[in-house]
Amino acid sequence: MTLFLTFAINGALQGLLYALVAIGFSVIYRASKVFNIAQGELLVLGGFLVWLTLMEWALPLYLGLPLSLALAVASGWLIERIFFKRLVGEQIFAMVMMSIALLIFMRGFMLVVFGPDVRAFPAIFPAKPIIFQGVMVIQPLLFGGILTVLIAFGLSYFFNRTRAGLGLTAVAEDHRTAMDLGISVRRASQIAWMLGMVLAMFGAVVSMNGNSINFLASGIGFIAIPVALLAGLEAITGMLLAGVLIGVVERLTAGYIDPLIGANFASIFPLLLMLLILTFRPSGFFGWKTIERI
Amino acid sequence: MFRNPAGIFPLSYRQDMALVRSRPQIAVLLAFLVLLVLGPLYFSPRMLAVMNTSMIMAIAVLGLQINLGYAGQINLGQAAFMGVGAYSGGVLANFSGLSFIVVIPLAGLAAAAFGYLFGVMASRIKGFYLALTTLAAQFVFHFVFINLPADWTGGAKGLAIAPASLFGFQFNTEGRLYILILVVLVLMTYGAFSIVRGRYGRELIAVRDEDTAAGIMGVDVVRTKVRAFLLGAFFAGVAGALWGYYLRYISVDQFTLFNSIWMIGMIIVGGMGSITGALIGVVVVRAIQEGITSFAPVLADAVPSLGSELIFASYNIVLGILIAGSLLIEPKGLMHRWNTIKSSYRIWPYPY
Repeated sequence: MTLFLTFAINGALQGLLYALVAIGFSVIYRASKVFNIAQGELLVLGGFLVWLTLMEWALPLYLGLPLSLALAVASGWLIERIFFKRLVGEQIFAMVMMSIALLIFMRGFMLVVFGPDVRAFPAIFPAKPIIFQGVMVIQPLLFGGILTVLIAFGLSYFFNRTRAGLGLTAVAEDHRTAMDLGISVRRASQIAWMLGMVLAMFGAVVSMNGNSINFLASGIGFIAIPVALLAGLEAITGMLLAGVLIGVVERLTAGYIDPLIGANFASIFPLLLMLLILTFRPSGFFGWKTIERI
Repeated sequence: MFRNPAGIFPLSYRQDMALVRSRPQIAVLLAFLVLLVLGPLYFSPRMLAVMNTSMIMAIAVLGLQINLGYAGQINLGQAAFMGVGAYSGGVLANFSGLSFIVVIPLAGLAAAAFGYLFGVMASRIKGFYLALTTLAAQFVFHFVFINLPADWTGGAKGLAIAPASLFGFQFNTEGRLYILILVVLVLMTYGAFSIVRGRYGRELIAVRDEDTAAGIMGVDVVRTKVRAFLLGAFFAGVAGALWGYYLRYISVDQFTLFNSIWMIGMIIVGGMGSITGALIGVVVVRAIQEGITSFAPVLADAVPSLGSELIFASYNIVLGILIAGSLLIEPKGLMHRWNTIKSSYRIWPYPY
């Protein structure tokens, strides 16, 4: 029973980490209508920024974190400026392709700038696991989970209840209509990428805390995709539920089914679950259902 | 708009849809084909190897062009479909001892069956959601072929394949394989042209441009999308089987997500919705890749820390810039630019 609880609790916390990455997808989507396939690469970039300030330059935490945050905002702005500024009003297809271009460009860029080596990542949250009545909880994930829930509700309030956030949401519905209504799509897109980059940095801090960083860490971006699709791209708080579902399912599969069949079934079970559920609900659990007109 | 050369006036639909319209065009096409067939005589060994891999890649990209450029269904799993073709071809050849003439089409069908799964998804899911579900193909492929019994597929070690042979003639040198691959490529290119020029090709284009409207006009949207995936995966499967016969060794690491993405890059650079564009994209992107490989020693001195990741890294940077540049400067691809130039000299000295 304690084993089951350990699996379930850590699975749920891991799932909240996926949700944090998936919220990055959602935020960029909600403010610019771009699905950013390169979110995993942004996460690695964010991680390297933290590594740069805290480890390479060895700044104290109170100085290094704000600095890396500022660098993250600046790089988000730069990415938007270079890749997406001129795509306002373009078709979905061009946006997908551009984010693919961003993905492969950043993979190469990061290899050149930071190299392929594995680097030590600073411990911002205490890294020691908590053991309570035989149930082991991974502490950075616990703090990360709390952070994720707070961020999710904060962003959800911003996007659904405030005037500025609703303006951004309108951009996700249709660029042209949003422009007609006097919303600056350019500005929305900038905000989207800056927010997305900051969220990616948070994701990096939670997932790599006290561990190591390497360009391959971007794989988490692909693991988070089932979460984003299950919840529906527009649903920010929905990501929490989908994340916990995927995380628990993945951990239980890894814990109980994988030893039986001797294969890493946990790596694709979330994807299969996603395929199954999307067949019945094509826009996820909480995604917007669009009515198509000609 | 497409313009015929001066003096060519199609009098029937058949003439209007013809692939080659004038005698000089036939002559040029034949001369080009002869030059290609004689390739092994004058290509250097490295050039021959590059040509072989490029032509195999071109077959898979042709399929992707039908799937993505004509039907508008974004497919991030073409390399996985190719891998399915390679493995089913390899396993079939090793266990049944059938000739490659039978194995290659069967491998194509096996890949098409895998593609069918995603075609069915495409009938329900659209846009971003579909593009991302095709990512799953990549992961499912990797999982399945690593974990199938090792005496079938070799598991993580990979699978060795006997050379293709026909009546005792073995395709075991670069030059012989070149001819085999070239013949398949020409057949598949002709097939692709025929598919997209007919009624079915127009259905694909209608679905790409506006699927709801196409449905209202009487196009069976679901069937069209499923067929687009079937065809795209079939081409990939044929390419995969050839890949197996060419390298005679396959492993799951040869068919990664990055390979799929590079294929999409080739299509964007060459031009969406054009068979010739797909071929041009392959040539341009592969030329750049080989250029980078040639410059690798120079680059290695400039950035010594990268080591073995150097080529991968620089290739990704260049292709990323290339795709982004194409989308910003010429979103319709090189083929569109070429067509513009062509019609401008055909109507010279008039502006339109």
